[in-house]
Order: sequence, then structure tokens, then C-alpha cells
Amino acid sequence: MTPDNKSGTTTATPVEDSPSAGPQTERRKAPSTPGPTPGRRAADRPLPASVLTPPVPPPPPHLDDYQGIVGQGQLDALRFLARELKGKTIKMVNSTAVGGGVAEMLNRLVPLLSELDVPTHWDVITGGNDFFEVTKAFHNALHGSAYDLTEAARQIFLMYNEQNRERMQFGEDMVVVHDPQPVALVRSKEKTHAHWVWRCHIDLSNPDRKVWEFLRPFVEQFDAAIFSSQSFARQLPILQYLFYPCIDPLSEKNKELPDSVVQKVCDEFGIDRSRPIVTQVSRFDRLKDPVGVVQAYKLAKKYVDAQLVLAGGGATDDPEGAVVLQEVKDAAADDPDIIILDLPPWCALEINAIQRASTIVVQKSLKEGFGLTVTEALWKGKPTIAGAVGGIPNQIIHKLTGVLVHSVEGCAFQIRYLLTHPEFARTIGTNGHEHVRENFLMTTNVKRWLLLFRILEQARAQRGKKP
Amino acid sequence: MPDNGKQQPRKPSKPFYFNTSEHLLRIGRQKACNLSELLQAIETCPEDSIFQHTFRTLQEHHFIRQGFSNDFGHWSVFACNEPALAEQLASVDVREFTAIAGLRARMVEILGQYLHNNPQAGSRPAYEPFYFCASDIVVLPTTFKADSLKGFLDGIHQVSVHSIHHHFIEARLRLHLMSNDFSQWLEEETGLERVADSIEKIDIYTNTMEGVRLQIARIISQAMNN
Repeated sequence: MTPDNKSGTTTATPVEDSPSAGPQTERRKAPSTPGPTPGRRAADRPLPASVLTPPVPPPPPHLDDYQGIVGQGQLDALRFLARELKGKTIKMVNSTAVGGGVAEMLNRLVPLLSELDVPTHWDVITGGNDFFEVTKAFHNALHGSAYDLTEAARQIFLMYNEQNRERMQFGEDMVVVHDPQPVALVRSKEKTHAHWVWRCHIDLSNPDRKVWEFLRPFVEQFDAAIFSSQSFARQLPILQYLFYPCIDPLSEKNKELPDSVVQKVCDEFGIDRSRPIVTQVSRFDRLKDPVGVVQAYKLAKKYVDAQLVLAGGGATDDPEGAVVLQEVKDAAADDPDIIILDLPPWCALEINAIQRASTIVVQKSLKEGFGLTVTEALWKGKPTIAGAVGGIPNQIIHKLTGVLVHSVEGCAFQIRYLLTHPEFARTIGTNGHEHVRENFLMTTNVKRWLLLFRILEQARAQRGKKP
Repeated sequence: MPDNGKQQPRKPSKPFYFNTSEHLLRIGRQKACNLSELLQAIETCPEDSIFQHTFRTLQEHHFIRQGFSNDFGHWSVFACNEPALAEQLASVDVREFTAIAGLRARMVEILGQYLHNNPQAGSRPAYEPFYFCASDIVVLPTTFKADSLKGFLDGIHQVSVHSIHHHFIEARLRLHLMSNDFSQWLEEETGLERVADSIEKIDIYTNTMEGVRLQIARIISQAMNN
């Protein structure tokens, strides 16, 4: 999450989660189908005008818009679940209204819950630069980076949490606090009748001990905690639930596209749809191992014909991203079939088109959160090869919904195998699509929140604890 | 397709209410890093964990036709590289059990025997841990109710696969009978015993849940056309 919004606004507009970066492309070969200026290096020419400015975001969808995707039965289940919660209210609290996967998810979740007559309010905490510097450091430390937790950092964290706590009202029936930044708001719990839930979107499997010990007493005051993977959780004395992250099948990144749009995007980027296309979509980040993908592709190419598309970002706003991009270019060398696209963050529709045009999608991460790019590829029915790290094994059941790999050589072999066994590739692609429909869509996320709310209400009723 | 004979259905005196169940995944406190730890955890974990990793995981993966049976078998091969054990665990048919205790005992028996015969396999570290989870269940109504065989067939066609799973697979834990809600109703309310038997015999491990739905519908259609 990018701690970049300090306004405290609750006005949220739909945003697409895209690889962030500046607009630059590196095309290494003239396409054999019509494309822009064959033979000319893409780095030497501007991006197509269509991707230079962010598009106007479409309005958020309504529940009935999902009927054709998940079926009437699933929508009925949501309505039955919500019926017993009618009039009860939820507050979501996080640290940013725009940018990052949490804001993107809340942009869709909040209106859908409200449409089900479970009014849901979204508050964003405020803080100065010093607060967000501390919380960014906490974020990295909880992911395992070394960090020297000082008394000053503790005081900054607590002071801003206290300011927000005094400013906010907690009259709702369930309060959901997202991630560590607002975690100390839970100090208000005893003054409210609400269920308090901590939704942790980050991997806590190997946290910096001091930072976790500082945050842990707050976490333990919640009624329940939610994690994105079993392996991300900690031993805690409160209930812990598993909510997989989700994608919105109606977003620009994932909606169905006419073939003409897919073709247009491929033409603009010089991707030849008459030949197999192997794609990895991710930031130019070493943990995504783009150089390993190039190496695997080169090994596979000794046996099979294919192009490699590396579509991502992160090279403009992140100094390390620029270094990694250069490493990728060096690894690609003079291979004319490797197309490197450094895209701006609003290119969701273009990413969608490239994924749909792909024969195989690769996500050869060395470390990963949940890996929503894998979810996106599976949703598009693409046979997917991915590193067996983070939350990816929750999505890819080896040889059933995709294939898991642990090395460059393994990745190369699977590229060869899937390109030469289209029936198997089609089967795992179909299974992968169904796996996402069942477990990783926005409607399933809505269902989980309703289920959790009902289960907490039932547990309270059984305990007879509070009115 | 079995011969369902030429039974004539009675008019049901009680309607069939199609329900469905929704599950929330709770993260448990136990995890296993090798097969010995798995055995120990299966012996001691709550019943709803056994339910989650057997009955419920079938529902989560209802779209897979072949190769997925339960989480214990899957982990044994992909995290522990013990295909013989995995085959034995995967061959356990949840529909042979009307209570979780029996299912747990069967898993313990298979795992215990395997580790007795292959003691070196017990402490070998798994590639990734097995995290025990559990299901919190909420049963919900649907908009479908059948008071005739035709209405029943319509319901079978239209309810979600979760409803099919609820009535066809989970039901035996509720009924404590080697049967399912569909077969029970067909037998008790319409007198179609052979149809009920044929439905009970559908193989859930070589079909997707959509495939199960189609087979149930085909058997009922055949009975209606007799």
C-alpha cells in the first residue's frame, strides 16, 4: 500500500491496480503482423496516444451486473445472507483512498455491501509525512526487512492514531481496520458495541520481532483477525479467518474484451498474434524475477517458437526498478522476439488485452504476497506457470489449475510442455478460470464479509455478552 | 446408466426445500511440517478441521474432474513426495462416512500404517507446512421448492452447485445415514427407490459437481419418461 493520501476524504473513485511506472516501451523486433514502424526500437518512439493519459474511470457496477458471471444462485445467497443483517452497519478504516490494492478493493466492496442494505462507511485516517514514513517502515519491517524501532517512531505512530481515534465516531455494528497503520484505533473498542475486526493484507510470517511485539497488543484486542493466506497468519488468542484477495471481473483489468480491442492493443505494441505469446505482467522488481523469465524463455526457445512479452512498470518512480529494467534489457540482448513494455499505471485495459492475447502467462516470482496477476491470468482461462511462493499455491494446484515451478529450468520445461500440449493447457486454463470464479471474485469477497458479520453476531448472541 | 425400472412416482406429501450452505474459512492453531506431525494433528484437531479438509475441500474444488480428493492426500504428494500414501488417502470416499469420527479414524489408520511401514518418511521435512483450517457454516434457503417430480427436476437444474453439494454430499453428516437428501426425498415422498439408489451411486470423484448435477437430472428425466 502506498501511504500517499493524507486528506482523510471518504470519497472514493474507482482506480485500477496496474504496474506503476513511467511510459516507455522497449520493442525488440518488428512484428510480422501490421504494427507501428516495423524494425524501429520502441524505446525510440513515444507510446501510443491512447495510453498517455489516464482514462475516465467507469462507474462502479451493481450487484445484478455480476449475474451473468456468478449466476443467480450466488446473488440470491448474498441477498439471503444480508437479509438478517439488514440495517446493521459497517465501518471500514484504512490509510489511503486512492492507490494500492486495498483502496481498489474497498472502492468496489463498499457500494456492493450498501446495495445489500448493509450500509458501509469508509473512513481514511489522516497523518503527516512523519506518520506515513513510520508506517511505511513498519510495513517493510513486517515483511521481514531489518528496522531499528525507535521510541520516537512509536510516539509518532501512537500520536496520529490517537488523533484519528478522537476525530472518528464508531457507532457502527462492525468496525474493520485494514492493515497496521490504524491498528491502535482499537483502543476505542470498549466504548462501542461493535465487533472489531483487523484485516491484515500483508504477510506476517516473518516479521521484524520488535515491530510485531509493539503492534501485537493492539491486534489482540480485536474480536477477529483476517489474513490473505494461512501462511501469513500468526499465533493469536483471537479468531483468525482466511479471506483470499479478489479481483473484480467487471473492472477494466478483467472485463471481457472484444477481439478487435485485443488486436488493436497488440498492433500498437508490436505483438504478433499469429505466433505463440508467453507473457509475464509485473513490476520490474527482482522479486518478480523478470531476468529469470528471460532465461527460461531462451532455454525454451531452443525447442519451440514463441514471443516473450514482459509488461510492467516501476522503472520510473523507483530507482531500483530502472536498474532491474536495464538488467532485463541486457538479458534480452538482441533477441528480436522479446518485447519489453514499461507501462504507466493506468494501462489496465492494455494489460487485460495483452493477457487475453497470451498463449501462456508466467509469474515466476521468488517472493510474493498473494499474486493477483496470477488470479487475473487464471480468470482469463490462460494456462499459467508460477513460482510456488506466497499465496500462489492457494491459486495454482499443480497440474490441475496451473503449474508450479521452482527454477528457471523448470519454468523453461513448462513453457515447452504447455506450448506443445494444447489440450492439457486448455484443461488447466479452464480449471483455473473456475477456481477463480469459485474463490477469488469480488462477489465471493462480499459473501465472506456477510458471513463473518453473521457469525460474529451469532457468537455474541450465544454468549449473551453484549446487547 | 443403471436401469431404473418402470416405477410410477407418487405425488409427494411434503415438498423438497432446496437449501444451500456457505462456509467461512477459519485458520486453526495446528500445522504440520512433516508426516508425523500431520498424523498427530489429525488425531487431535477439531472435527470441523477434518470436515474442512475432506468434505468442504471437495466443494471448493468442485470443478476438477480428476486428481483432487482431499487436502491430506494432495499435501502428501505435493509437499512430501509420498505418492503411495497420497493414493491411499485420496481413495477415501467421504460418502462412506456418516460421522466425522469415522472419517478421522480412517485417515489416522492409513497414515499410521504407512509410517509404521516407512518410519523414515515421518520426520522428513515437507516442502511447505500443512495449515489446519476449519469451516464456519451458515445454511441458507434458496428460492426453489419442489412439490412434484417435475418441480424437483427444475430445482436440480437451477440451484447452485453449492446447493447440490449441501444436499448430496454433506447431507450424510446431518442424516447419519448412508444416503443423501435427494435420495431420501425421492424414496420417501415419491416411492422411486431404484431412482434414489441410482442417484446415491453417482461417483463424485470422477465427476465435477456440474457433472453430478447432470447425472442426477438424467436419472430423474429417465424416470419421468418411463
